[in-house]
Amino acid sequence: MWCMGKAEGRRSQLLRGVLDLCLLAVMGDGPAYGYEMTKRLRARGLSIVGEGSIYPVLGRLERDGLVETHRAASNGGPPRKYYSLSPEGELALEAGVSEWQAARDAVDGALGLVNAEVMP
Amino acid sequence: MSEFVDECRREWRRLGVPDPVASEMAADLTADLEEAEAEGGSPEDVLGNSAFDPRRFAAAWAAARGVTSAPTPEGPSLWRPPFAIALAVLLTVLTIGAGLALLVGRSSSSIAFVSRRIAGVPGPFRLFAPGPGRVVVPGPVGPFMARGVAGIDLHPLGLLVFMVGVVGLGLFAVWYWSPWFGPRRYHRNGGRRTPNWH
Repeated sequence: MWCMGKAEGRRSQLLRGVLDLCLLAVMGDGPAYGYEMTKRLRARGLSIVGEGSIYPVLGRLERDGLVETHRAASNGGPPRKYYSLSPEGELALEAGVSEWQAARDAVDGALGLVNAEVMP
Repeated sequence: MSEFVDECRREWRRLGVPDPVASEMAADLTADLEEAEAEGGSPEDVLGNSAFDPRRFAAAWAAARGVTSAPTPEGPSLWRPPFAIALAVLLTVLTIGAGLALLVGRSSSSIAFVSRRIAGVPGPFRLFAPGPGRVVVPGPVGPFMARGVAGIDLHPLGLLVFMVGVVGLGLFAVWYWSPWFGPRRYHRNGGRRTPNWH
């Protein structure tokens, strides 16, 4: 039970650190409104259930000028706010992916070292 | 679902989010929640664990967009509104003055508080009639005393003023540092008292 709680907490913290990057990445598929991005994330294997909402992250991305927004009618529904990558957002995505890969490789290396010592 | 959005709107109103912005966020949220429901999903599919805490969710979203006039966590504003400064100075002077008067009164068992006789009014100007144990200073004693100076027993008045001053300063401090009512809700921006939305 304790391990499950710790694992969920760690997953939540890890996701919180890269959720903005993931949102920028799914926007690369084309403009999307809030819930549409949630569905794109889910389709890529990332569920936010149990995690925080994406709306504050979208708000921050908009405030930082990394996304552009416009209103348009959705499929038979009310007008929605669509988010798309701005030029600054594309650069931020590119840099963020490099940072993530570097961090992931470093952590992989550290974890691999631990495994080698504990499990010969 | 609508309760969640309503609660968000109340929180945005409390935080000073402009109505057009709040309406836009509420409309987007409602549309997303309705779409999820139509697909057989739950609010958690849209909001994650924020679905259980609308006020926190609403505050986080508004803060991320920079549309709230609530205090920011970076640090307290150094701006002091003029009326707050005047009120603080008045209360401090009252409290210190009354406290000193009480101290002096204690050492002499009674104190006379002199005031200038009002021109054209016959007789001494009195707030309280002299009585047993009260000291009345007769005649001109100093440069600021004129003829017909009367006395006033400061014990009850001084105590009252002192208590009013202390309570007033306490209430002022509570008001001033309150996150909901005090002047720190606002931020100085170009010399004007304005919210910090962009």
